[in-house]
Amino acid sequence: MKTMKWKKWLVAGVILSSLTACSSSGSGSNAGESDYPKKPITVVAPSGAGGGWDLTARSLSKILGETKMVDQTITVENKPGGGGAVYLAEYATQHKKDDYKLFVSSPPILINNLKKEGNSPYGFQDTTPLAQLTKDFGAIVVKEDSKYNNLKELMEAVKKDPKSVTAAGGSAPGSMDHLVAVLPAYKSDIDPKTVKYVSYDGGGEAIAALLGGNADYIATDASAVGEYLKAGKVKVLGISSTERLKGDLADIPTFKEAGIDAEFTIWRGVFGPKEMSDSAVAYWDKTLKKLNESKEWQDELERNGWEAEFKDGKEFETFLKDQEKQVEDLLKSLGMNK
Amino acid sequence: MGVMDFLMQGFQTALQPHNIFFAFIGVLIGTAVGVLPGIGPMSGVALLIPVTATFTSGMDPSAAATSSIILLAGVYYGAMYGGSTTSILLNTPGESSSVVTTLDGYQMAKQGRAGAALSIAAIGSFFAGIVSIIGLVLLADPLSEMALKFGPAEYFSLMLLGLAAVSGLAGGSITKAWMMTVTGLLIATIGIDAVSGVARFTYDIPVLFGGLEFLTVAVGLFALGEVFKTVLHKEEDTEKVAKVGRVIPSRADFKESAGPIVRGSFLGFFIGVLPGAGATLASFFSYISEKKISKNPEKFGKGAIAGVAAPESANNAASGGAMIPLLTLGIPGSGTTAILMGALIMYNVQPGPLLFSDHPDVAWGLIASMFIGNLMLLILNMPLVKVFAKIIETPAKYLLPIIIAISVFGVYAVQVTTFDLFLLIGFGLAGYLLAQHDYPIAPLVLGLVLGPMIENNMRRALTTSNGDFMVFVQQPISAFFLVCSVLWILIPFVLRLKGKNVVVNVEG
Repeated sequence: MKTMKWKKWLVAGVILSSLTACSSSGSGSNAGESDYPKKPITVVAPSGAGGGWDLTARSLSKILGETKMVDQTITVENKPGGGGAVYLAEYATQHKKDDYKLFVSSPPILINNLKKEGNSPYGFQDTTPLAQLTKDFGAIVVKEDSKYNNLKELMEAVKKDPKSVTAAGGSAPGSMDHLVAVLPAYKSDIDPKTVKYVSYDGGGEAIAALLGGNADYIATDASAVGEYLKAGKVKVLGISSTERLKGDLADIPTFKEAGIDAEFTIWRGVFGPKEMSDSAVAYWDKTLKKLNESKEWQDELERNGWEAEFKDGKEFETFLKDQEKQVEDLLKSLGMNK
Repeated sequence: MGVMDFLMQGFQTALQPHNIFFAFIGVLIGTAVGVLPGIGPMSGVALLIPVTATFTSGMDPSAAATSSIILLAGVYYGAMYGGSTTSILLNTPGESSSVVTTLDGYQMAKQGRAGAALSIAAIGSFFAGIVSIIGLVLLADPLSEMALKFGPAEYFSLMLLGLAAVSGLAGGSITKAWMMTVTGLLIATIGIDAVSGVARFTYDIPVLFGGLEFLTVAVGLFALGEVFKTVLHKEEDTEKVAKVGRVIPSRADFKESAGPIVRGSFLGFFIGVLPGAGATLASFFSYISEKKISKNPEKFGKGAIAGVAAPESANNAASGGAMIPLLTLGIPGSGTTAILMGALIMYNVQPGPLLFSDHPDVAWGLIASMFIGNLMLLILNMPLVKVFAKIIETPAKYLLPIIIAISVFGVYAVQVTTFDLFLLIGFGLAGYLLAQHDYPIAPLVLGLVLGPMIENNMRRALTTSNGDFMVFVQQPISAFFLVCSVLWILIPFVLRLKGKNVVVNVEG
């Protein structure tokens, strides 16, 4: 009896120590190897769980694993803080040669680098853009019993007394949720600096603040609100897309339809380290293209309510340079640029 | 269908042979994860996600989701059981929620009562686990509503109460306890600020951007501090190896622990429900309040069994409570539940308001499996107590290198930087020096944990109120906590002014 237990214990120990071995590997440089990848790969979501980056990272690793496009295990890690700036600092300094660490990002990688307050010294130039995978949009959301029924009413209330309306989002002031939250105000001739914005750690906490009555409206990713809308917990007042979305959000007007002349696209993409080896870059270029063409990935996008938009590494980099200009202009008009 | 029917269906799912097997594997690995410092429940669960995905790959999606979440949740609460082991035996907390267990647990081990301490921790954890699951079944909806009512102001005041209560952790001098708390708060400000993104005290050194890792600090202060002490004071200790006494707690032990276990379970459950507060705060609060209401508060810190029973029950109950916001709102309250949520999403099961209606098999299967898993843990852990307790009989010359090895391994496995190893040694020395001069270490650790939460919630509350500090007293729940904090600090002073001898204020 006693030996039995010892054996079980031993098995657990072996399983566990082999697992630890996996997790602690993954650093060090392996430039120029053609048998890439030969070690487990980590995809980092530089935020808490449940937000857009996290979901993208998890979908990506899930489909790559299920379709056997990548033989190695892919794990997702969450590294929250500073709207992604904390992890980027670590990534750009400590993992710049680590071919086995990728990360998922979106406009904040540009915004953090351009804004004045809480500037991140690192930007997309300190990475190797591998591909854009999806696009999403911002949504302005209020609680189901809110007195505001459309974007115009909400903005009029903000205009009348900015102090009386609390906006919230899952990222720091000057970052994406904040930009989405003030964009309608800015376009309604309200000084965006007067909009009262409270930042939480990730979209999940922001939704909790909304449901608990600690915020009057929140700005969050359109793809993250479907579940709460279906459950009748929230009203979505507007989406920052150019045309109506499909699925759960088909009945929600765009900003334009709601009378606000603005749009904002949240692209999401995968990045590698700046000094990624050529073989690894080539591997991901090929693999991510294949991923985009697979039915499994397209189904996954649809399930999550994301719109497909694929750009390979080169196109993506050109696009980023373009976007950088646009974000800079937006921040300038808000008086928040570097 | 009523709750009972759903629960019965859940049991039908959970009692399928493969799900019993998954629950068993989960709690087994969880116990090991809890015992080994360095692999906390969070990294343990994260590491196992790909493994469970392989195990369940042939099953249909819903059944696969149920089976893997049963395993992963098993790791989570299994780790809470196991977390006390190294705290008690080696003064090495495996995770933040068992820091407070070291205070009395390690003292008990030194007195040869390691067996009793470990057993009572297992029994308390079992009871707390059952309480929290029953709570989860009956109170999930109203409690998730309550958790939402907790805004920034309420969190701030609750955390402040946590800080005010540090006097309860003071060994001799309350002044020293406060000094340590403030040091903890100061250390917590290092890194890039999560609210504004501004870098503080980083001096452009990238390893500091993320702040100091809690585990490095705690293991350094507690475990290495103890190692240094033993090495430097060897002659004085005269190699007195504590004998393991009886493994089964005595009648008196049971009598002393029953109250703390029950109170710790309820307190832990309710604190666990609040997203962000979690198991650490629950264990600190339950320890402090047991000391307050105890007839023999002077025994705490010197091996009081209630000081083990209460926090160990509380942290286990908190892990059950934390399932409520996760399952009913889709809001993860801790790092580990965030990873559990990610695992569910991987199987296309979206935790949130629709989980119980869209995927009742997953939700209720999980709940039922938690009953079974907790029972397994008790049966698994009681015989192991005897084995573990033997560790304490190992002579220091073998034990010390082992402690150093697990500390270094554990810290490096989490952080993968040599900087943290230097930090570990630095805090080890600091821990030794502080302990030599009677500065209590636990308040520093509490300050480090609570610091960022206090600060961020205070700033959120003030933004909402347009900078008006009245917001903290206008909200009734927040005001209640503030009043408690003030009383907590004032009452000992008032009593002393009246000439009463108050234990916490006895200097040196």
